[in-house]
Amino acid sequence: MKIERFDLIIVGAGPSGLSAAIEAAKHGMRVVVFDENAKPGGQLFKQIHKFFGSKEHKAKIRGFHIGEQLLAEADSVGVKVELNATVVGLYQDREVVVRMGDEVHHFKGDAIIIATGAAENMVLFDGWNLPGVMGAGAAQTLMNLYGVKPGEKILMLGSGNVGLVVSFQLLQAGCDVVALVDAAPKIGGYGVHAAKVARTGVPFYLSHTIKKAEGTDHVTGVTIAEVDSHFQFIPGTDKHFDVDTICVAVGLSPMSQLLKMAGCKMEDNPKRGGQVPIIGEYGETSIPGIYAAGDVSGIEEASSAMIEGRMSGVVAAEYLGFMTAEEKAEKLDQLNQSLDALRQGMFAPKNRGKKITETEEGIPVSESLLHKGFVADDEIERYPGVTHRAGVHPVIECTQNIPCNPCQDACKKHCIRIGSEITSLPAVEPDSTCIDCGMCVASCPGQAIFLINEDDGAGNAEITLPYEFLPLPKVGDKGVALGRSGSPVCEAEVARVRSSKAFDGTNLLTIRVPAKYAMTARFFKTNAQQKEAAE
Amino acid sequence: MNELSNRSRDIGEFVPQPDDDMIVCRCEEVTKGEIRRAVHDGLWTIAEIRRYLRCGMGLCQGQTCAKLVKGIVARELHVSPALLEPATSRSPMRPVEMHVFADETEDTDL
Amino acid sequence: MAGRIAQHPILGVQSENKKIVTFRYDGKEMKGYEGEPIAAALKANGVMVHRYTMKQHKPRGIFCAIGRCTDCVMVVDGEPNVRTCMTPLVEGMDVRTQYGVSDKPFSEQ
Repeated sequence: MKIERFDLIIVGAGPSGLSAAIEAAKHGMRVVVFDENAKPGGQLFKQIHKFFGSKEHKAKIRGFHIGEQLLAEADSVGVKVELNATVVGLYQDREVVVRMGDEVHHFKGDAIIIATGAAENMVLFDGWNLPGVMGAGAAQTLMNLYGVKPGEKILMLGSGNVGLVVSFQLLQAGCDVVALVDAAPKIGGYGVHAAKVARTGVPFYLSHTIKKAEGTDHVTGVTIAEVDSHFQFIPGTDKHFDVDTICVAVGLSPMSQLLKMAGCKMEDNPKRGGQVPIIGEYGETSIPGIYAAGDVSGIEEASSAMIEGRMSGVVAAEYLGFMTAEEKAEKLDQLNQSLDALRQGMFAPKNRGKKITETEEGIPVSESLLHKGFVADDEIERYPGVTHRAGVHPVIECTQNIPCNPCQDACKKHCIRIGSEITSLPAVEPDSTCIDCGMCVASCPGQAIFLINEDDGAGNAEITLPYEFLPLPKVGDKGVALGRSGSPVCEAEVARVRSSKAFDGTNLLTIRVPAKYAMTARFFKTNAQQKEAAE
Repeated sequence: MNELSNRSRDIGEFVPQPDDDMIVCRCEEVTKGEIRRAVHDGLWTIAEIRRYLRCGMGLCQGQTCAKLVKGIVARELHVSPALLEPATSRSPMRPVEMHVFADETEDTDL
Repeated sequence: MAGRIAQHPILGVQSENKKIVTFRYDGKEMKGYEGEPIAAALKANGVMVHRYTMKQHKPRGIFCAIGRCTDCVMVVDGEPNVRTCMTPLVEGMDVRTQYGVSDKPFSEQ
């Protein structure tokens, strides 16, 4: 048996592992990254939505494009990524045992970064073992990596960001999402993610959970029922849906087993998602030279995982003498600022479990958004992005403080102001000139910006909305405008369709509706689509 | 002494529940009722229950059920799940056939 | 092919430049793309059940799709317990439903 030595061994080639490898390799370390999958990038290549954050966090870039950028950067600094390489053990003195093909290999790392990510949680219900019940991540893998529909008619359990984002992606893949269900009384994820699903007509059932998945050989239906505040079913509230697939998105747990095996001190920390290593500010575990980065050290977003990865790479580089303490301090200072910016707002880790009643601006939060998935028509006017004037102007239905500001940069005419705090709600500048370029609509990762001409002079309003579905409606198509709730509000006709490389896959659909629906019509379906949905 | 080491504590009788035959460990097909019964048989740690019932010892090594088992045991013991020590983590972390595990190659240079 | 996303609004035509291969599922000829996981090819062909469990003989299918849960294992080219969500499809592969750890139905075991 032979042991090959590396300066740094990283387990997991996802966003944090690759980021760590890049920092370490840049400073001259001999690094190898092991990943059990056939392709690197972790979950990034399944993320087809535009990311939140600001420019430095690669906001408004789609996850899989961020993955491509990360791989190119890793390649350019000479990071070696070993794929189909499963780390099966982490032993004393940082010895790593890896299965590659039909052989077992031994390696020694002077530093080790564990970036193994997370696994999906599950809940128990009658029939949860039936084929057709799967993790939301599994559905995402099938449709976004392999181009296969997870099912035709699908029920989603879980209203956190994963449940919301995957529901939207299922719609994009051409699946029918019959309901979005959560046992909690409030939607867990970003309001904008919920709103873009709700306005397509997907009903939300909060304070509901699955009673039974039906079928003998595979799922053929599902029964949900309402639960009380102790999560007990309320008799007489059963609702049945014919479905072939049930997706479960009830949170993630860190995959920290390797760290536990190595003897790192662990703790059960519900705020970080379960069993996590006890770590220092930059991922230092209780064992010198072993670090944890990304979801394995606490569930967050891919954007923060990338920064944590860079931090652990920097710390490992200094630990092994590839960087001076001064260089390290300077690097970490920059990275800290970037990470801090992401960890602000209503959904910040520090606010988990807290009941937030008003925004940073002192505006009451939308109760309808929290309980039904959409901002009510009588709530929307109170937000600073919603203003009125003659001619085309942006209407920004962004109502929660989340770290995100691409809209501010997207508008070359400076119509949109967020300011230095990237969690502030975007406001429309009163004296600015909107040129109807559509860049703000396409830039918003939450698809919450509309361009509206409230009155075209002929008694109609024109509403430009982001549209990421196929088939793309054509000018002159007639159909119905749906409200924020997904219910039809009036007849509508497609006035304009814009697609551009600069919009990065987001099409801009302009619909014409009677002027009185200018502030309520927010989605479009052709008559044929609406008829199909009604059946 | 804490709530877990205090064996004089009365956790009550085993009371059958309607969902006792629900599978919790998908690999080894261990039911909720079996896990609850094991607690009342006196097995109060995850490691003991794992050896007793094999839940978490199948192909997937508890990837899916570890958290579920912990929750069921904690509820039966009337303690917070955070108090329960998870089962030991050991190699191999993923299923590896014995012939592969035994194949220690000489030539490792990457 | 049925079950495939012909054209995706963001990802375009995902099957572009992929080679079609033929494999057998329980003796039946099926088509899939070379190199995609066996599980993806089966899903696209409408197969839901990958195996029946040892004790209770209950059906199981794709559950995690990333090689963790091992619920999608089948007998592939004579070898049982192969994770179909992680194993690339190749021309001529023989994929069979797994009963316990065998490719023979329980009544024949």
